[in-house]
Amino acid sequence: MFKKEVEIKYLSIEDKIKKVEKGEAHWFFPHHVALQIIIMLIVMGAMITLVTLFPPHLGEKADPFVTPEHIKPEWYFLAAYQFLKVADIFELLGRWAPKIIGVAGQGVIILIIFLFPFFDRHPERRPFRRPIATLTGILASLIFIAMTIWGYYS
Amino acid sequence: MNELRLGPILIRNRLLIALYNFVESRLGIKEIFDLEIFYKLAPSHLGIFSCFGGITFFLFILQIITGTLLLVYYVPTTAHAYDSVVHITNNIPFGWLIRGFHHWGANLMIITVFIHMGKIYFHGIYKNPRELNWITGMVLLMTTLSFSFTGYLLPWTQLSYWATVVGTEIPSAVPVIGDYIKFLLRGGTDISQVTLTRFFAVHIMVLPAAIVIFIGMHILMIRRQGISGPL
Repeated sequence: MFKKEVEIKYLSIEDKIKKVEKGEAHWFFPHHVALQIIIMLIVMGAMITLVTLFPPHLGEKADPFVTPEHIKPEWYFLAAYQFLKVADIFELLGRWAPKIIGVAGQGVIILIIFLFPFFDRHPERRPFRRPIATLTGILASLIFIAMTIWGYYS
Repeated sequence: MNELRLGPILIRNRLLIALYNFVESRLGIKEIFDLEIFYKLAPSHLGIFSCFGGITFFLFILQIITGTLLLVYYVPTTAHAYDSVVHITNNIPFGWLIRGFHHWGANLMIITVFIHMGKIYFHGIYKNPRELNWITGMVLLMTTLSFSFTGYLLPWTQLSYWATVVGTEIPSAVPVIGDYIKFLLRGGTDISQVTLTRFFAVHIMVLPAAIVIFIGMHILMIRRQGISGPL
């Protein structure tokens, strides 16, 4: 892969033109740059729409002496937060267990994701030809979404 | 020389040509322009899901710009942080827009990061030779989440205050060093001015420096290896 890219980069201009004419590649400039600009404009449009129609909510000023009834993290931490709450079932192992298992469990999951390329070394890339990895990914995504929703409504 | 041809661009302006020749004779930029811009090939098999890394990067650039603008009026003290955010939103010209951009940019960035990660995962792009890029990507994900966590406290609202109380409590579950981590995060036993100051410092100085280094590595590795081929 890596060698291929360098070979493409240092091809002669005539060979590059041939590749473009055969449809194997596009010119970075102006073709690809134009696409990037279009996408940037779409993102800007989406942002301006969101900001104008749904301006960020600013609640009350912080008061260390008044604890609110429901303390919830932002939506992207809800899954992790719900995971910690679910870990309460390990209470039967002792009072130390829920917190340590909840935190260490997430640490282990993150570590596994970090090192995932070293566990999954088979070169096959097509999703349907590697069903275990694909199903694991779908399952992990669904659990994350489910935990987020559960955290939101609990 | 009356004309200068740079890829598809033809320049006839004498001043521009003179300026170009000045730099070209000193740095040899024609080679870089040809290899990296004008005669650079881009893959033709890219779909919409291939764009999300780039969209994340674009959102990050917007975060830098809007964050810098917010920094001009934001006051990182427990007494004035909330009022300064209200002031930015209500009184500063286009302050609402800048703050809104920063808020929505942060949220969208997390969504686009996850979509990008899903694309890389399901199409097996992390595989040999791109393992290191996956690891820098994970570092970037962690950095992005740290940005969100530290930035959330800064407006000093009830929600952000109590979310930080709960959030900084979590590391105390780690055996032996847990309470030290909690103390280090809070700068004391409670959330106070010290906490706000260090979250502010981490949010505007430490994390940006870290994320710029890792984005640099992430992109340089892509440039070295190329975009992965079609499935």
